[in-house]
Amino acid sequence: MVRMWARSLFRRGRVEEELARELRFHLEQEAAEARARGVPEKEAASEARRRLGGVTQIQEECRDMRKAKPIEEFEQDTRYAARVLAKSPGFTLTMLLTLALSIGAVSAIVSVVEGVLLRPLPYREPGRLVRIFTSNRAWPKFPINPNDFRDFRARLRCFESMAAYTRNDVPLAGSGETVRLSGFAVTGGFFHVLGLKPAIGREFDQNDEMPAKGNIAIVSDRMWRSRLGGRRDAIGRKIVLNAVPYEVVGVMPRGVEHPGNMYHAVAYGETVDVWTPFTNYGDPKFRGAHYLDGIARLKPGVTVAQAEGEMNAGMRQLAREHQGSEDGWNVIVNPLGQEIVGRSERLVLVLLGAAGLVLLLGCVNSANLLLARATARHREMALRTAMGAGRRRLIQQVLTESVLLAMGGAAMGAVLAFAGVKILLKLLPADFPRSGDIHLDAPVFAFTLLLALASGIVFGLAPALLGTKAELNLSLHEGGRSSTSSRRTLRLRNGLVMSEVALACVLLIGTALMLSSFVHLLRSDPGFRPERVVTASISLPHLNYKDTKAVSVFYRQVLAQISSTPGVEAVGVGSDLPWTGWDENNGGFFIKGEAPPPRQDFHARYHVATPGYFRALGIPIVRGRAFDAGDEPGAPGVLIINEAMARYWKHGDALGGKVSFEDNPKTGKDWLTVIGIAKDTKDTPQNAGAEPAFWWAVDQEPWPMAADASIAIRSEEDANRVADRLRAVARELDPTLAVAEVRTMEAIADGSYATPRFALALVGAFALLALTLAAIGTYGVIAYSVNQRIPEFGVRMALGAGPRDVLRDVMANGFKLGAAGTFAGVLLGVGFARFLGNLLYGVKAADPMVIAASCAIAMATASLASYVPALRATRVDPMRALRAE
Amino acid sequence: MIQGTLDLLILKTISIEPKHGWAIAKRIEQVSEEALQITQGALYPALHRLEQQGWITAEWRETDTGREAKFYRLTKAGAKQLKQELAQWERLSNAIGLVIRAV
Repeated sequence: MVRMWARSLFRRGRVEEELARELRFHLEQEAAEARARGVPEKEAASEARRRLGGVTQIQEECRDMRKAKPIEEFEQDTRYAARVLAKSPGFTLTMLLTLALSIGAVSAIVSVVEGVLLRPLPYREPGRLVRIFTSNRAWPKFPINPNDFRDFRARLRCFESMAAYTRNDVPLAGSGETVRLSGFAVTGGFFHVLGLKPAIGREFDQNDEMPAKGNIAIVSDRMWRSRLGGRRDAIGRKIVLNAVPYEVVGVMPRGVEHPGNMYHAVAYGETVDVWTPFTNYGDPKFRGAHYLDGIARLKPGVTVAQAEGEMNAGMRQLAREHQGSEDGWNVIVNPLGQEIVGRSERLVLVLLGAAGLVLLLGCVNSANLLLARATARHREMALRTAMGAGRRRLIQQVLTESVLLAMGGAAMGAVLAFAGVKILLKLLPADFPRSGDIHLDAPVFAFTLLLALASGIVFGLAPALLGTKAELNLSLHEGGRSSTSSRRTLRLRNGLVMSEVALACVLLIGTALMLSSFVHLLRSDPGFRPERVVTASISLPHLNYKDTKAVSVFYRQVLAQISSTPGVEAVGVGSDLPWTGWDENNGGFFIKGEAPPPRQDFHARYHVATPGYFRALGIPIVRGRAFDAGDEPGAPGVLIINEAMARYWKHGDALGGKVSFEDNPKTGKDWLTVIGIAKDTKDTPQNAGAEPAFWWAVDQEPWPMAADASIAIRSEEDANRVADRLRAVARELDPTLAVAEVRTMEAIADGSYATPRFALALVGAFALLALTLAAIGTYGVIAYSVNQRIPEFGVRMALGAGPRDVLRDVMANGFKLGAAGTFAGVLLGVGFARFLGNLLYGVKAADPMVIAASCAIAMATASLASYVPALRATRVDPMRALRAE
Repeated sequence: MIQGTLDLLILKTISIEPKHGWAIAKRIEQVSEEALQITQGALYPALHRLEQQGWITAEWRETDTGREAKFYRLTKAGAKQLKQELAQWERLSNAIGLVIRAV
């Protein structure tokens, strides 16, 4: 059988030829026999032909008998469909564009979903990797203390392995300018936990955690290639980090991605260049400092909850052993994947939802267009039925057309998706997790193709079934004008248009909400003035700047030189810039005369700053004063706090209040005086409010924090010239230090708005697309119903109705559809708005203004789309319309 | 002609020896004493259908007069099919005979 099929399919030419030969032989035999009977030569051939019957017909029937028919039919249908589609280019183009845009949108977003949410993280068995945090009543999520970590690691049972790490950027000196490397101090076996191995050399083990072991480092592939010449004998070479020689013991391969950290967070991806061993355990009795990021690999079969239970039991045990220093602390164990993409999951899913709505709209619109065409082709179908085409065959034909359209749409959609992903990656916020994993690849393409096929069948089915309904007599008699079937079709099409308007309305509401929250965001006071400020990070090698004095002497020189530059209004150095990350402490300080809020400790973001810092960044000192030159090491201790921290004072005035960082403050020297209150700046613009924060004066900082600091220069001058001047000044003072991350404050602010802007731009684009599709759909249906009612309009106008009446009538029809669709859209839209969740800022999901505006736009679009056909209805010539009837 | 009988006639005709299309047509006319005037045109689609179903198979061979012709021959499956169809035909004609005589 299969062989026969194959033969009839692939060797059709041969089969046809054999059949022709066979029939020729038959005719000759028959003629010969006739001649033998005495029939004259001329008549014999024609008699033979008569007895055999039509050769073409026999050939056709034989072809039918061969079972390769379905495939041949498919070919035939495809050719026919292509011909039919080419004949109405307007329709075909609209369909193709509709499909291409909707399929393209979905494919682009699906590649984001695939890259960010679905693709496994680039570690061995990433499902078993977890991040470890601590928490207490005030802090839902906090890093771990090094000594606690060491005890946990020694006692682990649920975990296969455990490691900890903390950010440790270092200046790398060598040939040319000193650069600042993104680095981490990691405990032994850090890469083993992740399931990564060095390409050459070794990774750290627990022996390397001893401070006396000498300085060793592991470098990234990028660093190895650019700084160590990519040579295999790089192992054992010395690099100068922090003005100290480090021996390279390992080189990591390409594709080592940073698993994320908490404070001064480094972006995900291949962002880290150097790893050094973590050695800073200090006194095992001191367990107040929490700053390590924990990561661990669960044993197979162990659940996250089990591990968390074990860790908490361990924490209580530690609290007993160390006289309560761990009291009140709990341990949180979170899957690594959730930690990395959890923040973006909602955004990605919202985008997928929006793209899905667009695809749905595209399908509905296609069905609508096909239906309109099916109605127009009613006579053709009736004719073909009369000529003997079966219904199955007709449906097959119509479906072929829609699948062909879908495939064409998919091909164009794939091109659009390809371009779309490129644009998406450009628009993506810099800190978007796993953006490097987003690309259009084979599975996504396969998905697109599948999607196209499925949508082709779905949106082609209804028109196929309705369009081929054999109401032969009716159709042929009435020309398919006002039969019941066309009324049914119209009802279906009305329904489709209403759902189109509803879907568009949902996206409009989503866009309006996001637009409104974005405007809120831009309008909300950042607490600083980002214009005309150039910033850079500076790292002073710890060896040469061991104490506060050395650091402050250096900054005094830099600041003096920069501020004497023409055009510079203000310049300052601080441990942090607004919106770029922070560090915090919890407990650890007292406020004279005040108790912490119930069930909490005092907590605050801590920073250091030079006198010019606040003026340079435009952070207003609301009350009191900024630091000045008098706030020296020997002078009375001073502190600037922000408004949020000032709220800790319930009884007295925060300005002039006393704060101490000593465990048992006794003398007046143990207390610092609050000399100024700075305006609040939030961690990121999307945060609900600012967290408490304070600044030490650089000259009075308790440890040399400012060795890694940022400088801010407010200047009239061009940003590049300011940066050049800064580099020159720094090099002149100390060639071993690195000036890095030169950015304007405006760029930093802009980056902070990138995520909401990205979401808004995408959802907005989808809404616009949806609105266009809904307008096309509405236009199509109204235009169709106007065509149907031309005789009616003719009669009415002959009886004295004016164009205004007709116009009103048609527009009312469009308005009704729009209103019904909008109503449904509002109901769905409120649900969609809930789904937006944390993407909204300063606006309620059911904001009446937003809903009203969206409704107005949806209704206006529907009305406008029905205006053009309505206008045509008013131009009906009564006489001609009646005659046509 | 009753639907399906043409298949039976073809199978029966070539069960004795392989024949080409024209010979099959002639044989049926001859044996039925011209009572069964089969439409020659209907023969070929039927042959193709039977071939497709695997009941008969064909090969090009020389005839007695030295011409090339396509000869059809019964396959094993075809022989089984013929047996079944014959049995069914017997049953049917007996039944019809009974009805006719009874009236």
